Amino acid sequence: MTAATPGLRAWLARSFDRPTPLVKQFATVGGVLAAFIILAAFDDINITNHATAWTGVALVVVSTILAVLFTVNRKLTRYSLLIPAIGILALGAFRAGTGGSSSIFAALIILPVIWMASGDGRRYILYAGVGTSIALMLPFILGLSVATTSSDWLRGVFTPLVFATAGAIVNELARQGRAQLASIRSLAEEKEKALTQALDYASELEESQQSLRAVHRMFRGVWDAVTEQSVIGTSPIGLIDAWNPGAERLLKMTRVEAEGKKFIYDFHIAEELENRSRELNYPPGETVLVPGFSALVESARLGQAEVRDWTYVRSDGTTVPVRLSVTKRVDENGETLGYLFVATDVTKEREVSRLKDEFVGLISHELRTPLSSILGYLELMRDDTDEPLSPEQLQYLGVAERNAHRLLKLVGDLLFTAQVESGKFPLDLRDVSLCEIIAASIETAGPAAAAGDVELESLGKAEAVVTGDVMRLGQALDNLLSNAIKFTPRGGTITVSVAIVGNAGVISVRDTGMGIPESELDQLFARFFRATTATRNAVPGVGLGLTITKAIVDAHHGTMAVTSVEGEGTEFTLTLPLVGTKL
Amino acid sequence: MSATVVIADDDADIRELIAIAVQRSGLTLLASVSDGAAALAAIREHRPDLAILDIAMPELTGVEVCRAVRADPESGDVRILLLSASVDETAQSVGREAGADHFIAKPFSPRVLTEWLSVGKEAR
Repeated sequence: MTAATPGLRAWLARSFDRPTPLVKQFATVGGVLAAFIILAAFDDINITNHATAWTGVALVVVSTILAVLFTVNRKLTRYSLLIPAIGILALGAFRAGTGGSSSIFAALIILPVIWMASGDGRRYILYAGVGTSIALMLPFILGLSVATTSSDWLRGVFTPLVFATAGAIVNELARQGRAQLASIRSLAEEKEKALTQALDYASELEESQQSLRAVHRMFRGVWDAVTEQSVIGTSPIGLIDAWNPGAERLLKMTRVEAEGKKFIYDFHIAEELENRSRELNYPPGETVLVPGFSALVESARLGQAEVRDWTYVRSDGTTVPVRLSVTKRVDENGETLGYLFVATDVTKEREVSRLKDEFVGLISHELRTPLSSILGYLELMRDDTDEPLSPEQLQYLGVAERNAHRLLKLVGDLLFTAQVESGKFPLDLRDVSLCEIIAASIETAGPAAAAGDVELESLGKAEAVVTGDVMRLGQALDNLLSNAIKFTPRGGTITVSVAIVGNAGVISVRDTGMGIPESELDQLFARFFRATTATRNAVPGVGLGLTITKAIVDAHHGTMAVTSVEGEGTEFTLTLPLVGTKL
Repeated sequence: MSATVVIADDDADIRELIAIAVQRSGLTLLASVSDGAAALAAIREHRPDLAILDIAMPELTGVEVCRAVRADPESGDVRILLLSASVDETAQSVGREAGADHFIAKPFSPRVLTEWLSVGKEAR
């Protein structure tokens, strides 16, 4: 029962909130049924004209069938006022068949009239009135009786007027009802929309919360996983507000001891900060700060991340060399929140670099000392005037000397390459004429070119003066010329030229040699790289010459380029900024 | 009387090579030693006109010997020739700062060293 009650209530609500034509028709059908009960119950109330009365009943049946049809097929709903129209005529006929003006069933006409008048629009009031009038005048229209009295006529006017008035009230009420319903419906729709939006928003919020949590977990994971780097965050004045496990490890201090209690400059050497401050001309910083701190963050404050070597001091006074990257932390409006200091311990790196320098120095010394003896004593032998060597012996001696020199050059090249790698090879800078360097190198290369039957020519004598190291630039050019000679077959030509292009002096060394495969050009400057044309033709060398030449050119802020066609020749171009050119 | 020379190098063959150049140029070799401390002692003892010192030596380096000699008013006027197997030019400038008069890089030519010593002898 309890389960059925809500079902019934829902059905009622559905039916009477928006009644179907069938529900509305119940009133008419009920009225006719009531009329039959009355006809059966009272002997003095009878059908006077069977044909007319039954026609009325038949029309009621027709209109009820239409009501069923219109209820089932919603598309036909807009024709549903046809039903009360037929109903009015049907009940008019029923009245005419049950006594006409004396029939007590005239009142039944009000039922379809109200339905008709509730139609959407004032014209339905008129239809209702006209319909009533026709219904009431039906006995006269059908010729069942003749209008004789003025009340007969007036009935056709007065009652419809009253009915139409009632209809007008119903029409107005229905209109208001409809308006109310529409506004309630639109309110309900709005409410539903708002609810849907709120639900969407809530689920979006949940999603973004989840992704935020994921990001946070990720961040925490990364933060805790960074144990080899010290990551320290500070406020704009340097007060530490973030301290990762790497910082705990490097500086031997816990997060709790550091955060909110220490300043970043507590871990720096005051003298280093002071020196940097002086270098930067005592930057004022963002606010009135500790000068050392301003120097530390100056570059980051101006928006450029900076990487420099510093020394961290632990609270126990021990120090550790670090490579420190300083960046600014900003909020979404670009306001400075503070700074991030990411430090890498470079103790081992320094040690390795020191050992390497030591090793290279040692090797260089240990290799050169025996070579000094070899070359020295070979020379004594050659110069021995008491017992001069035979031509054959002199020839053998020459081979030994040549190879000792080759070994010496290799040692020098290796040492130089190591120096380039560790970023320290000294340059003795002064104003240098490129023409003079070229002249010296051509003279040096002369014997080798003659031996290889290769012509050396010098073109273009532009007076290009650069700031450079004569020895090193000479070494660079010597390397290029010696390569060109080695790779050029007998009868070939090597052309060296110098020109001024814009703010640069350009040296070009062009040969008519075997060339370099295009696919190998980009590896040409790599250490120990040898072109296939070199190995195939058994040209001696270890693959250091171009590496060294490139390093020398780079150290002079110049550039080096190469073009080559296999079988036709190769051209190397060195471009060096002229004296006074701003780099 | 010919000019006097003290030689110091930890490599015996090089010492011999220098000694040959010294003899060929007509100078008098007073001592030939193999480490820096011995070189300093020999310079103080013999007060030679010229000291030929290798830079990389045990005990005291050539540069340290040079500094010690220059700091000592008794033996401060000896001319010093530094020999180095290093191609690093900073070694040369360090040597000059320490008070060395000349600098020759290894490997050196005995012929060139002989000529240089002969010229130095005459100039003196």
